[in-house]
Amino acid sequence: MGVTILTQFPTENRTGPQTIDVLSKRIMALGAIQQGQFLVDCETYTSVQQLGPQRTVHVLHNSEQPATVFSLLETGTKTIPLATDGLFDLLMMKMSSFYTSKKQTKAESKGPRYEIGDFCVKLGTVTVSSNFKGILVEVEYRPCVVPAMCWDLLKEFLQGFLGLSGPTNPPAYLQNRMQEIYSPIDTIHQYLEHFTLFRKSPVEANVN
Amino acid sequence: MSTPGTAMDSLSAALKCNIIPNQEYLLQGSVLDQYVEVLLHRLRGLCDNVDSGPESFHDHELCFTLRAANTGAPMVLPLRVRRALDVNDAPFQLRYVGQQELGDKNRPTVVRSSIDMACSSTIVEFLTELGCRLDFEYIARGYMFRKGRMKITVSKIFKMGGNKPGEGVEPISQSYLVELSVLAPSGQDAIGEDMRVFAEQLRPLVQLEKIDYKRLGNMM
Amino acid sequence: MERDIEQLNSALNSVKILRSNVRRVFESVSNGLRADHGDDGKENKFILELQELLTTVNNNLRDVENSVSNLTPPSGPFSLGNTTYLSQETTQERQALYGQLVNSYKWTDKIREYSAVAGNILAANSFNKTYKTFSTTKRRKTQTSNHNVPPEVIENLITSIDRLFTDVTITTNRPFVPNPVIQASLGRVLKAIIAFKGLMIEWVIVKAHAESNDLWSESRYKVFRKVTENCHAAMCHFHSPMMPELAVRSFMVVYCYIFFVFLKMYKK
Repeated sequence: MGVTILTQFPTENRTGPQTIDVLSKRIMALGAIQQGQFLVDCETYTSVQQLGPQRTVHVLHNSEQPATVFSLLETGTKTIPLATDGLFDLLMMKMSSFYTSKKQTKAESKGPRYEIGDFCVKLGTVTVSSNFKGILVEVEYRPCVVPAMCWDLLKEFLQGFLGLSGPTNPPAYLQNRMQEIYSPIDTIHQYLEHFTLFRKSPVEANVN
Repeated sequence: MSTPGTAMDSLSAALKCNIIPNQEYLLQGSVLDQYVEVLLHRLRGLCDNVDSGPESFHDHELCFTLRAANTGAPMVLPLRVRRALDVNDAPFQLRYVGQQELGDKNRPTVVRSSIDMACSSTIVEFLTELGCRLDFEYIARGYMFRKGRMKITVSKIFKMGGNKPGEGVEPISQSYLVELSVLAPSGQDAIGEDMRVFAEQLRPLVQLEKIDYKRLGNMM
Repeated sequence: MERDIEQLNSALNSVKILRSNVRRVFESVSNGLRADHGDDGKENKFILELQELLTTVNNNLRDVENSVSNLTPPSGPFSLGNTTYLSQETTQERQALYGQLVNSYKWTDKIREYSAVAGNILAANSFNKTYKTFSTTKRRKTQTSNHNVPPEVIENLITSIDRLFTDVTITTNRPFVPNPVIQASLGRVLKAIIAFKGLMIEWVIVKAHAESNDLWSESRYKVFRKVTENCHAAMCHFHSPMMPELAVRSFMVVYCYIFFVFLKMYKK
């Protein structure tokens, strides 16, 4: 498990599949090998009125950690992360009278997964309740676990194949955690940040 | 290359195939402190882990409920968190235990639905913020045995004294709690018969029985 | 000598065959009449089978006698030195000593054989890229063994290295007392696991901070496999049986150097 940077790639005038195509050609030209597909999904539950002040539970799955369910509880003042076994989903069903999900908010990012040396690159097509929303590029540098140590390397790599659209600063979530040891829940936090933004954005015209 | 299915898809597939162990078959009993050594000795002979000896445990259990004042019947969801005090880096255990079904007289054990999972140490804060209330907590210390799929625990229950677990604990009674349980997918009622036979072998040291909590509540 | 061993071998072999065939006789007798003897004349068939087996045993016995008569008895008593007394040892726990003694003889023999081969190869191919000469006086002074040094000497070396390089955190464990395995971690990025044989570095492997401390498996990551290669080169390059302490010190300097280059590469 290494440090992961998640960044949005603008589609400009292209459709989703076209953008993925362009990016995958670029990464293949660098010598990457495709290693299957990946999927990150997020379901959001909100507390019912009788439970007092409103709270939100985001339940996320990442195909990179297939036996784990990640949950993030937002109380308005703080966010509490939780990692559990796959059966947590079953428990959420039991909680259905306390926490209900809005079907329109199911977000996911899926697409091809590439390996190039010690890097792992994922090109995700983001949909919110089946509507195309944009492209998320995930790059992981696996040998290193401290973000500050490898941010420059990751930035160079990202700019190398995303061009000017590559990030110039670490993701907001990571900025005050640069010296800490990175763990899978940090990737989940980054995904949630992006999904929340995508949910607020209007539906793009070019539905695939 | 096939796209990975969503986690919910694989969960519903697992539910459909009925491979998720979500039923607990349970028998309970107790033994006085002075006879516990005899019981342990007998269990050592009967159970699988003979050569390694019994496994000891020292756990702290917190019992939460999630409840909402509904207009109709009150909604209650009990949740338990268990953590090992003797193993530092062990994951916490989160457990939902449903209403117990006593069934008819011929059914040998209590059956209750149960969802059991490992989780990270943030669980206590997570549950508190989720709206759960801590009902009670206790410390269990004892031994665990295995016999096939059956799990036998012999444990002493302690009241929480001080604020921190481990300080000022006080035993709740002069006896040990003995539990015989199996976690299995629903519909595997044959295991109940195995448990009855095993419980028979521990008589008369301990009487493992179906305990009806509702009746106990009425007696008090 | 060679012929003696051959004959001894064939004698042992015939004893083995004899034992196996005698076992078959007893097996047949203990089983008695079996289903495959059929119905008619089953007693006769059984007796015939038994006779056949006994004839084989007779033949085998003759073979054993022949091969024994071919052996030449040793001329005098073996001279086993003090080990003769081991056979007179009566306490239970000391009786195993003889087996261990034989084993250690075997290993010394093997070591002699291997070191002769290795010596030939090393004489022909030098690892050192630099040319080193030692004056004879110096050589005589340091001509002690590097493999078998008191643990304190190694301990001192490790502590001095620990003091020399402030960026390196060293943790030591000793699976075998005189041969420590040290773990030199640099930052929270990489660690080298170095196994010593006496005062000499026997094995180095570089891994990521988060990986296991297993000495035998390579790193999962390309970049650390490359660093491991460089470390191996450094280890061979600085290897000097005459001045092992210097070799270890030089190696550590190079290791730190590799690390700083590595950090530079990370942080542009």
